[in-house]
Formats: sequence, C-alpha cells, structure tokens
Amino acid sequence: MADHKHDADHAHSAEHFREKHLMLDPLPRGVMNDMVMESMTTKPGWKFWTTVIILSGIVAYGLVYSWAKMIAEGIGIAGVNRPSYWGIFLVNTVFWIGISHAGTFISAILRVFKAEFRRPFTRAAELMTTFGLVQAGFSIFMHMGRVWLSYWLMPYPNQRMLWPNFHSPLSWDLLAITTYLLSSTMYLFLPLIPDMAMARDRSTGWRKNLYKVLALGFRGTEGEWTHLRNAMNIFAFAIIPVMFSVHTIVSWDFAAATRPGWNSTIFGPYFIVGALHSGMGAAVVVLAVIRSNMKHMDYFIRAEHFDAIGKLMLIISMAWAYFFFNDYMVQWYGGDKWTHQLLHFHEAGPLGWMWFAMLVCNVAIPWAILWNTKWRSTPWLVSTVGIIINVGMWFERYIIVPISLSINRMPFTWRMYKPGVEIPLGIGTLALFILLYVVASKIIPLIPVWEVQEGQMAHELKKFGRETVVSVSELE
Amino acid sequence: MTEEKKVVDLLAVFSDLGPAADAVEQLRTLGVSDDCMNVISGVPVTEAMLGRPRQWTNVPRIAMGGAILGLSAGIFLAFIAPYAYPYPIQVSTQAFVPGPPTVVVLFELTMLGMLLSTFLGVFLDSFFPNYRPMKYVPEISDGKIAIFVECPDCDEKKITDLLKKLGAESVKPAEAQHL
Amino acid sequence: MTNAIPEVKLAEEHVGKWGMVINQDICTGCQACVAACAMENNVSFVGEEDSGYGRSMHWIRIERFWEGEYPEVRMTPNQPMLCQQCGSAPCEPVCPAFATVHSTAESLNLQVYNRCVGTRYCANNCPYQVRSFNWRDYERPEPLPNQLNPDVTVRRRGVMEKCTFCIQRIHKAQDKAKAEGREVMDGEFTTACAQACPANAIVFGRTDTPESLVSQLAHKGHGVKHLEELGTLPNVTYFKGG
Repeated sequence: MADHKHDADHAHSAEHFREKHLMLDPLPRGVMNDMVMESMTTKPGWKFWTTVIILSGIVAYGLVYSWAKMIAEGIGIAGVNRPSYWGIFLVNTVFWIGISHAGTFISAILRVFKAEFRRPFTRAAELMTTFGLVQAGFSIFMHMGRVWLSYWLMPYPNQRMLWPNFHSPLSWDLLAITTYLLSSTMYLFLPLIPDMAMARDRSTGWRKNLYKVLALGFRGTEGEWTHLRNAMNIFAFAIIPVMFSVHTIVSWDFAAATRPGWNSTIFGPYFIVGALHSGMGAAVVVLAVIRSNMKHMDYFIRAEHFDAIGKLMLIISMAWAYFFFNDYMVQWYGGDKWTHQLLHFHEAGPLGWMWFAMLVCNVAIPWAILWNTKWRSTPWLVSTVGIIINVGMWFERYIIVPISLSINRMPFTWRMYKPGVEIPLGIGTLALFILLYVVASKIIPLIPVWEVQEGQMAHELKKFGRETVVSVSELE
Repeated sequence: MTEEKKVVDLLAVFSDLGPAADAVEQLRTLGVSDDCMNVISGVPVTEAMLGRPRQWTNVPRIAMGGAILGLSAGIFLAFIAPYAYPYPIQVSTQAFVPGPPTVVVLFELTMLGMLLSTFLGVFLDSFFPNYRPMKYVPEISDGKIAIFVECPDCDEKKITDLLKKLGAESVKPAEAQHL
Repeated sequence: MTNAIPEVKLAEEHVGKWGMVINQDICTGCQACVAACAMENNVSFVGEEDSGYGRSMHWIRIERFWEGEYPEVRMTPNQPMLCQQCGSAPCEPVCPAFATVHSTAESLNLQVYNRCVGTRYCANNCPYQVRSFNWRDYERPEPLPNQLNPDVTVRRRGVMEKCTFCIQRIHKAQDKAKAEGREVMDGEFTTACAQACPANAIVFGRTDTPESLVSQLAHKGHGVKHLEELGTLPNVTYFKGG
C-alpha cells in the first residue's frame, strides 16, 4: 500500500539521518557522560606513554636546553643577521597565533551564527587556541636579545619612571596578545564548568578532588545557568573583535615598517584570513587524531563535521587567494624598483621553490580536493589537506619575514638567511603543543556534553509534505 | 485550628521537561510560591519552558563596569603616562600622544576590562567558588531536572503525592552534602 | 595632539645641532674611518665567519659598487654609510622600550644601551641598515682591553648599537666650552671618522651656525641625501658625481 511504502521510506531516511548527524542521534545524557568520562579516564597504554616520553624528550632538548644555550651565548647561535634581523622566531610567532585563531572562530563565530555542527568540538578548538598562544608567547620571547629584561615592556610604575612606548606595534602586540590569551582561556573555562561538575559527580580519588575544585560548586541552578549563559553570550560576541584585532596588530609589526614588501595596507585582513586558513587546517587534524585515537569519539565527531569544516577550509582558501593576489598585484603594478627586486627574489631567488610550494599547498591542493562532498567527508583526506595547508602557510610567513628582509633599499647589505638554533626551538614548540594536548585529553573532557545534549534537544525530524527534513528549534 | 508548621524541604527528580513543567504549575496551586521552589538541571532549560519567573543577572552590568575600568586604564596609559616622564620623550616626528596608536590601546584595554569583569561577574553572581555542603543529587549531571521545594507552610504529604503522581523518579528530603 | 616637534629645554642646555657632509668623490675607500670609529667607540671584533654572515658591527661601512657589464666595468664612488641621525627617524617609534629616542636640541638620534631589550625592530626599520646588534659576547683577548675608550660603554650581548656622532666627544667639548663660558668653536673637535680620514672626505660640525664648514658645504647646492624620498630627514649630506 502507498502508506506503508511511504512509512518505510520515512523510517529508512530517519535511520539514515541518525547515522549521519550527531544532533539527530540522541543518546541518554548518562550514556554520553559515560562515554566522555571513559575516553578520558581509560588507563593509558604503551602508545600514550611512548608518545609522552618522546615528546618530552623533544621539548627538553629543543625548547629547554636550546633556549638556555641561546640565553647564555646570545642570539648569535640563531640564524639572524643584517639585514634579516627577524627570522624563524617571528615566523613561528605568527604561525602559532594563526593556529589559535581557529579555536575562537569555531567557538565564537560559529556560535554567533548558530552553526549547530560546531557543538561537539568547540572545546577541542578552544584548547588549540590556548596551547597555540602559549607557543606563540615562547616564540616571541625567544627572539628578544635580553629576554631576562622583558618585564620592562610591561606597563607598571617603576624606578626608571618609564612606561612602555605605545608608539610601537610591539607594545600593541603585548596588550592584544595578553587580552586574547586571558579572554580565550576564560572562554575555554566558562562552558567547561558544567562538564567539570559532571566529571566531579562521576569520579573518585585525585580526579574527584581536582574536578571538585574546578567545578567551583556548580549545581545547575537557574541562577547559575543564567549567569553562565549570559557571560558566554557576551564572550562570544566580544571575543570576535578581539580576535580580529590581535592578528591585525601582529600584521602591523610588519606593515608599520618601512621595508619594501612589508609596508602594505592589506596586511591586516590578509593575516586574519591566513590565520583562519592554517588554523582550520590544524583543527581538522586535531579532530581526526582525537576521533581515531580516543574511545567513543567516533560517536561525537562524525564525517559530517569534516564535511562542514572542509567547506569552510575551501572558502577560506579562496579568500586567502584573493588577499594574496591583491597584495601581489598592487606591488607588481606599482613599479617601485625595490619592490620589484623583492618580488623577483621571491619567485626566482634561491628559495623560489618555496613561493611556488606556498601557492600549491594553500590554493591548488585545497581547491582540487575540497570541492568534492565525498572527499570532504573522509577524515584522513581532509586532515592531510589540513597538514599541507599548514606547511604552505608556514612557507608564506617564511617568505614574508626572512626572505623579504633579505632585500631592502641598501643593496650592499643584501644577504641570505640561514636558520640555526631556531630549528630545534621551533620543533620544541610544536612538540610542546602536542604534549600539552595529549596530557589535557586525559584530564579535561574534550566534548562539551551539555552543549551536545542542548543541541540534540533542539533538533528533530519533520515532514514537509512527503519530504523529511531536519528542523532546529531556537531554544535560547 | 492547629496547622502543621513543619518546614517542607523536598527534592524531586524528573527525567523529562513536560512532567517537570506540570509539576511546577501544580505546586503553585498547592500554595507553594515561586520563591520556595528552585529548579536544578543538567542542561540549561530556560525559565520560560518551566513557567518560572525570569532570573535576573548582574553580569551585563558588571561587564559594562569592567569596560569602563579598562577604558580608564587605557586613557591613563595613552594620555597621562607619556607626560609622567622626567621629560617628554620624542620619537621621530610623531606627536607625544599619537592618534592611531591611542585608538589601539584604548580598544584593547576596554575589551580586556570587559571580558575580565564578565568572567568575574559569573563568579560573583553565582557565589563561586562554593565548596560548602549544598543540596544536590549527582543524577542532575546525567540530564535530570530536579525541583527543590522549601516551603515553611505546606502539607508535605500532599506535595509528595502530587509529585509522585506527575512522574517524579524520586522524592526525598533535600540534604546538604559536600559536592 | 599636534604634529610639531617641540623643543625641550633642559637644565643643562645642549647648544648645537650636529651634522655631517661626506664627499664620496674624494673618498678613497681606505677604511681609516671604519678603523678609527671602532677604536673610539669600543666596537667589538666579530671575526671572519660571523662577519661574512652579515654580523659585522662596524658603525660606519664603505659601500663599493660597480656598474656595467664585463669588460666595461666601472667603479662608482665609494659610499661611506653611517647613521644618518634622521630628523624623522623610523627606528625611534618602533622601540617598545624607548631605547632609541630623539634629541631635538642636538638633532641627534640617541641609543640608550641599558634600556634595550633586543627586539631588533629598530634595525629592521632603518632604511639605511646602519644598526649593529651584539649577537654574542665577543672576546677581546689580552692586551686588547687596554685599548678601550673609558668614555664609552662596552656593550654586552643582546643590545643594539649604532653611530652616535661620537657623542662622548660632543659632550666633552661642550663641557669644556661651558666651563670656559663660551660656545663650542667649529673645528674644536670632530668625530673619530672625520679625524682619521686622510682625504678629508668627512666633515663634521654644527649645522645651526652658518659660518661652520659643515653648513657652508651643505648649502653649496649639489649635495644629495640618500633615500630622501622616504622622508627620514637625514642629517648627512653627500657629494656624489660632480
């Protein structure tokens, strides 16, 4: 009978929806809590300990020992010289701040735009922000000649009767990055409180003590939820201009300078889009690693999320290409002889391969792969593209900092830059980022279960005529 | 006529929104005022869903206050600090108080003030951190909705029967315990 | 907020704005100025390897170029390049620690060693690339420390330095003149580089007195200022090509 067939169709498509979409596949909250707690508290096996030991070794040599050596002997063991006074240290700083922007994009911008697919991975993204900013902080302190006096750059009343020079983009950097680091840590912590309460209720021993302290006595009263959600709303809206301003100010470290190739008015938005580009690529790698290495995460993080992030990656790649071309076209057209020398050096100099690799990794490969829905929904493929994008974006910053510095208006000083101790130091920051994440995955529940449940409560399947569609209620 | 003056202090756990909302409504007919009721849940259910009066929050006001404090700090650093030196320091041909950098400083410090105070506002309004014994049951973080009734002037048996009839999973005396 | 450069009067008034004229046409490229400056200002000896990698610390350098294709190769005039003591120095606003500031009274760009934390933004922003950074603590094997000039600080690693127009000599001459109740006379002292130059290609003196040699030469008309189009207002005038 016609009815029976339609019902069967409906049942089939409902099953299909449930399989594909986390929001349409609700489980009892208790079960989800169990899954998250189990994935966090499973006794770590040999894979975990091997990873931790190797990473700690890399951090100990690459970060701790190498930095101590550089402080003792001077910046001379790095590769910076005249005219490339800034090198990989600044490249890494911009790189890590860029990665940290993805976290804010996911947890703030996607929340403001009510993109429901963000729900399971906002916390994983925010952790990327905090840990990425830590590495950026290390990288910027590393490059200072007398880092033991870096506190002179903080605004405090002192015996020298001096405040920092706010004419300098570096002082703006200090304010912006401090604001961003504190804000995103607070924004990480606020939605974490209810999950800390959940973890407190379900653990024993040292974990219970830790979560009890961090949960601050949260119970879930109407008052507590109201204050929390009000604050989260304010944060979501306010942290977006902060995020935009941070990377713009970082770009002004270069744009405010007089160097050919640097003094470009488009650096602000160019850097922001670049940050999102590398950040989303890193986010997708983190999600793929979490999904394949932690128990039960394949329930929370599904192909649909990679599909959604893949779409964003494609759009951002197009935006990056637009800004890159904007910057390039105007420099090429302007005819300034120094800028032309610089552009020629970028493309045809000894490191010209890097320029082409940057374009391939940032534009060609994403455009070739991410247009296809099926490919976008394949976690390993999207995360490979994510890694390639990050390599391309690191090349982009290498071109902007040491390579562009090699060419200036005094040809007698033109010289190549050859990195020295920056390499172990940079690898050390990468290892520390991964190490912090691995340790955090054992202590902090990576999925905001209450937000997932909130989303599941709001989603339902409805019939419009003969078609079954997903319907989302605005519960707030 | 003597009335039972025993203080009713109950905690009822519901697993669904509908029965909980019914319970709130019915409790009101039994004479339990909104002030004597408190709802605790593992997922934010708005007061409107339960037919409860709206909660007031000071967080936006505290955020605004923090923004003003941040702006003041920015004004100090941008306008006052440059003149606090033994002599005004000249860099290039820029004015002592340069225009665009001042905008940057004011903006960043305003945002910092606002966000720090929003965070603090949550702590202040919710009286965090609170490690004293509180009335709570761990099932709440499993997604249940709990209704506290703390009524000094009501019939305990009637309330218990009503709540059980409406589908409460459990009705027991609310005990303050360490969380 | 005005854009005028205010004159700041201090208790100890420094009288005299200082400038330089360099005649590239008679510079022989002998590097006596480079050596004299290094001796006068305790400039470190960096060694062959670091120097080849672009870390020489000379406060003045002789730039040599050639033009044309082989076999018609011609030398261009040697170009002594040193800190131009810019009136609108791009290095000054970018230092977050106020380690490089302007002295409008003396028309000099000052480098304050003990405020420098080594961010090197000033060096990046200098269009003339005349700033030197102490990449390491360079050794001075005995008996070199005997040669150090007691009037000049010895810088350690992590600090930026550059030509100061021999400010120690400026202040010494001014102190002497003040003690004698007069102003500094033109030619009473000069910078180390100008003193050492055998061709007298470098002339140093006060630019605010029209009778001084520097003023007369600078106003001759055919002087050029390097990278003038950037608006840095350099204090060094060059004679080149005529």
